[in-house]
Amino acid sequence: MAATGRIMLKALNPLSKLLVCAVWLAASVLVFDERFQMALIVLTGSALIVLNRTSPLLLLALMVPFGLFGFAFLTTSLLFRQDSDFAMRMASEALLTSPAVSAGLTLFLRAVACGMISVFFALTTDPGSLVRALMVHGRLPPRIGYSLFAAMLLVPDLAAEAQQMRIARAMKTGRRLRRVPGPGELMSLVVPLLAFAIRRAGRTAIALEARGLSPDGPRTVLHAPGFTRSDAVFIITAIVAITLCGAATVSDIDVPLSLPQVAHDEPV
Amino acid sequence: MRSDPQPPRTGAAAEWHEVTVQYPFAKRPAVGPVSLGVRRGERVLLLGPSGSGKSTLLLTLTGLVPNSIPATVSGDIRLFGAVVGTRQPWAWAAQVAQYFQDADQTLCGMRVEDEIAFALENRALPPMRIAERVTEAMDRVGVPESWRSRPSSALSGGERQLVALAATLVQDASLFVADEPTAHLAPLAADRLHALLTECGPDRSVLVVDHRLEGLIQQIDRMIVLGRDGGIIAEGHPRTVFRAKHDLLVSEGIWRPAASALDARLEEAGIAPQVAPLSVEEALAHVDPATAPREHVEKALPAVEAFVAECTVRSVQTAPDAPVLARLVKAACAPFLGPTVLRSIDLAIREGEILGVLGANGAGKSTLGLCLSGLLPLKAGRRTGAPGGYAFQRPENQFTAGTVRDEILDTLPKQMAAKAKAERVAGTLAAWGLSGLEHRHPFELSQGQKRRLALATLTTSDRWPLLVLDEPTAGLDAHGVSMLMSAILALHGRGYAVAVITHDMDFALRLCPRSIIVGEGGILADGPTQDLMRNTALLQRAGLAEPSCVKALQWLQRAASC
Repeated sequence: MAATGRIMLKALNPLSKLLVCAVWLAASVLVFDERFQMALIVLTGSALIVLNRTSPLLLLALMVPFGLFGFAFLTTSLLFRQDSDFAMRMASEALLTSPAVSAGLTLFLRAVACGMISVFFALTTDPGSLVRALMVHGRLPPRIGYSLFAAMLLVPDLAAEAQQMRIARAMKTGRRLRRVPGPGELMSLVVPLLAFAIRRAGRTAIALEARGLSPDGPRTVLHAPGFTRSDAVFIITAIVAITLCGAATVSDIDVPLSLPQVAHDEPV
Repeated sequence: MRSDPQPPRTGAAAEWHEVTVQYPFAKRPAVGPVSLGVRRGERVLLLGPSGSGKSTLLLTLTGLVPNSIPATVSGDIRLFGAVVGTRQPWAWAAQVAQYFQDADQTLCGMRVEDEIAFALENRALPPMRIAERVTEAMDRVGVPESWRSRPSSALSGGERQLVALAATLVQDASLFVADEPTAHLAPLAADRLHALLTECGPDRSVLVVDHRLEGLIQQIDRMIVLGRDGGIIAEGHPRTVFRAKHDLLVSEGIWRPAASALDARLEEAGIAPQVAPLSVEEALAHVDPATAPREHVEKALPAVEAFVAECTVRSVQTAPDAPVLARLVKAACAPFLGPTVLRSIDLAIREGEILGVLGANGAGKSTLGLCLSGLLPLKAGRRTGAPGGYAFQRPENQFTAGTVRDEILDTLPKQMAAKAKAERVAGTLAAWGLSGLEHRHPFELSQGQKRRLALATLTTSDRWPLLVLDEPTAGLDAHGVSMLMSAILALHGRGYAVAVITHDMDFALRLCPRSIIVGEGGILADGPTQDLMRNTALLQRAGLAEPSCVKALQWLQRAASC
């Protein structure tokens, strides 16, 4: 079943997944409730682990930057909320039931939910298929589409180029090559790498033109993903799932679809 | 000088008539005025020294210059009788296939199959037809089926070059244009590419710029030679030009096949073949020791000996007891943050030694060079010895300063007095032929000048008694290579140890008394270069080819035994 699911997820039209992910992201932003955010995380994570055979450890690792981002929201909410009077309340009420903690937790979970949805899209979508689908169904101009392909090739080459420059610099300074470059070293690489990227972009543009890429006119796009019944099933299932989660949340809370009210002190 | 004796506009595949190209801010034209043509079904080789405007001329063919690369172009350029400017460059892709020197200039970052199909997609061919032609092109070039779904960015340099060739050949255009297609290829891969490039067809014209002539020149119908000023200095069938214009080509620093030098020596000896030869075998066929009169063989002997002496090692063999400068013991070598590509490497380089490092594309030569110089940490094993300096394939990668002068200054000790520094910089610039360029940005120099600057920065301070040079001859003309060779021999004279990574077997044979052959995840052979070059089975196994003078060496052996 997992193998079938994996194939199904990969075989879906990237635009279907893009639509579903966009709707889920919008819902995550609009519904400010920690249970809703958790439902999104569980749904998306389960789909990745069960259907895409994504390792839970990999998923956890990928969530680290989003978690750190969300944690910043949590601490900001706790420490800098004007009316929280955090230190005083700590002494008088349970931490987890305070509005500041609840809001911070929701913001934290929202960051993780958005991260999980983005990772779902990235892990189940071939970038090439996405660009092709956008060119065929989304009217993306081929010049932009193929420039995106070239940019994808540029990234690893840029890394290799940077590596050679770092080795050359290590040789000149007589210092050992570090695994991770420091901020100073990174800054010194910016200009030469930019020069490399500009030269390369110019040459790629020439290559595309030399092979007949025209700004308009008919063209064949091979392997462009089409829409199938699976896409319809996937979109409907995803929308129903998110609607049910949303409805369950809205019916169960007092202040639906609203951001927490932040009290402002009146100026004296 | 006009190249095409036919009047223009008579159905030639490509024509340039009194064409001049000048880039913005340049003081003189990059090309021209020049008039030349390529007839339908003709295979033309365009030769010229570095900077003579060959690549620019090719780019004007479909209007990429001036449409995509700004320049002022005057004169008349026609493709199949039509004025080039009447169409946009992309509209010529059905008639003209262009293969660039660097595979990354041809590929766009897609999967292999999509890369090859790209030009046909642009022509809106039906998907079934595209699929057939993609499979056909992959078969012709030898792109394995298993690569079909791999992203081109995941391939090695040589593999990318094969895919780029398939992507260009699939266009099945009437005119095929290639700009230094073999510059970074190992010998066997280069031979294969030459064969594909020059495949015959009554309506298929080919225009090639390439410095590697062995294996190519026999297939060429006509060659055109540009001079340093961008005008034509010679034109005709290769047999005629290489004999009649030998001295001119030498003085202009233009590549010639090895047979041309041998022919010149045989001519001096009064025993040259009737028809000018294009290969060493052809040059010696009429004096075959087994069949030719003995006096003819005797007459040819000194000429062949002189030719072989010119082609073989010029530096002195390093004494076996010379101190070891750097050593790798049971070393496992891997690119930075990459997987191990070479295992159990035992290699020592001695003081004053010139070592050739040979092998196919992707064999791990550069990684070995970086480990030998101590710049890459080993995955296993150990390295002992002096620190090494590394001259990268792309010299730009090691330039960090804004001017040539600062680039050299940066390598001098900080505590050195300002006056002494200034003197040292002036001396270095003069020694490496860079005087007058001290205030130029290193990126503005020609390829040959960049290579010399890279070597100058490595040798100014004596910090690195061991130098590793990675593909130092790529993109240089014959004059540039000759200068480079003199520079390396001078370093050898000063006691430097030099490891030269190269695909140019003739260069290795002339320069390196000892070589190693890298392949199959280790060192396949280590020994005197002359011995390795005679081992045909070993060379084939490593994806290499014999240097051009080996046939002359074999002739000498046969002549001695008769």
